[in-house]
Amino acid sequence: MPHPYCFHFIALQLLPKPHPTNSHIPVPSPVLNMRKGVGLGALTRNTQTSQQYASHGQLLQKSHIDELTTQLSVFQASLAQFSRTHAKDIRSNPAFRAEFARMCTAIGVDPLASSSNRGGSFWAEMLGTSVNDFYFELAVRVVEVCRRTRQENGGLIAIAEVRERIMRQDESIGGSNDVSEDDILRAVDALRPLSSGFAVIDLGRRQMIRSVPKELNTDQSTVLEAIQVLGFITHSMLRVNLGWDGARVQTVIDDLLSDSLVWLDDQADEKEYWAPSFFKKSG
Amino acid sequence: MTTTATMFTKPKPPNLEYPELYEFPAFFTRYHSSSSPQNTQPNDTTWAHQRSIWAAWVLSYCRAHKIWKLQLSDALETELFYNRNLNRRFKQRDAAELLEYMVTEGDVEWEGVGKATAIVYWRKPEEWANVIYEWIDSTGQKGSVLTLYEISEGDLTRNQEFHTIDPYVLRKALDFLVKRSLAQVFGANEEMGVKFF
Repeated sequence: MPHPYCFHFIALQLLPKPHPTNSHIPVPSPVLNMRKGVGLGALTRNTQTSQQYASHGQLLQKSHIDELTTQLSVFQASLAQFSRTHAKDIRSNPAFRAEFARMCTAIGVDPLASSSNRGGSFWAEMLGTSVNDFYFELAVRVVEVCRRTRQENGGLIAIAEVRERIMRQDESIGGSNDVSEDDILRAVDALRPLSSGFAVIDLGRRQMIRSVPKELNTDQSTVLEAIQVLGFITHSMLRVNLGWDGARVQTVIDDLLSDSLVWLDDQADEKEYWAPSFFKKSG
Repeated sequence: MTTTATMFTKPKPPNLEYPELYEFPAFFTRYHSSSSPQNTQPNDTTWAHQRSIWAAWVLSYCRAHKIWKLQLSDALETELFYNRNLNRRFKQRDAAELLEYMVTEGDVEWEGVGKATAIVYWRKPEEWANVIYEWIDSTGQKGSVLTLYEISEGDLTRNQEFHTIDPYVLRKALDFLVKRSLAQVFGANEEMGVKFF
């Protein structure tokens, strides 16, 4: 249902557009003036006309602004209303939440914008705490999962696994908050202002959360990608397939081992290196 | 009757949950035997984590199978330390190191000096004391006298978690009750009895 002001607004737009200056108003040519024998009076009349136009223009502009302000406040109110009435859906339905977040992005609203910096984002205030809180609470749980599994996976964990762990935790306490991978991505994003060292990195086909402030170099990423595909790697696999020399292979493996990113299995024909981060999926 | 002898044939109890890493081949490797120092991996952090999962696994395995005493050499052949599907096994040296760690945690006690058999406290003696005393209390047996054999092997305790309890563990548990003046142990050797208050 369009707001009654909208019609008013459209009607105003249909009127010829006034202009405060008279540059576009057809001014009678001096020759014509001479013929008609109109004198100084015409000049005054001209000025008067343009003044009238100008003041009318100002009036219109003002009403324009009033319109917009009203429309904006109506919009704000309905958006706030929307997020209030749908707070439950936003929290419980991942598809709805993703749509809502996408809508917010489309109209330039960041539901996660911090209200403390840069004078505060009124969007965040307007949207109330439901959206904000959801992602911040989720972020806390993501941090927990990352921290708890860090010893095992060296601080590199697949988003899918984080989600699985959070869901499993929910089930065990009887809750059933559906969380999507998109939510987890947003939650990690929400941590950025804290410069917490949490980052999402792409490794091969998968998105991983890296919770230790450490950059993987290209060799390490390559090896991890290979493990992701093959399950494990060995010295000779890397030497043959990547054409690396023994020292290079050894360095990469030693680095990954010392960061707990891979574990050694010495019970095969050749030493195998497995990554717990990629293990769960194959299992 | 001995737990270790029947261990091989025991079916998987329904309440036994395998750790996720049980299917992870590297879970069974403690470190590499190579003399080169940078090969003594996994690193300490990894090992500490690995060890804590192993310890929890040993306890839940023994709980599910009601194993009171673990004979290391036998246990190495069971699924506890040997994943045949994966063809990976925890080596003797590594298992011994694990049990040694569990001793420091109070979950395990070596029987004798040979360190060949370990008493596994999947419940601490103090917990057993409470469980037994609760059973005595709820069945109205306060003031009565029971032999130790009746407690561990008697028909009355068949449904109790402490049924088949190892005599040594039972004694330790009862000691706690004695200390709290809730029980009195008398007799000697096979003829021991206990009176609950």
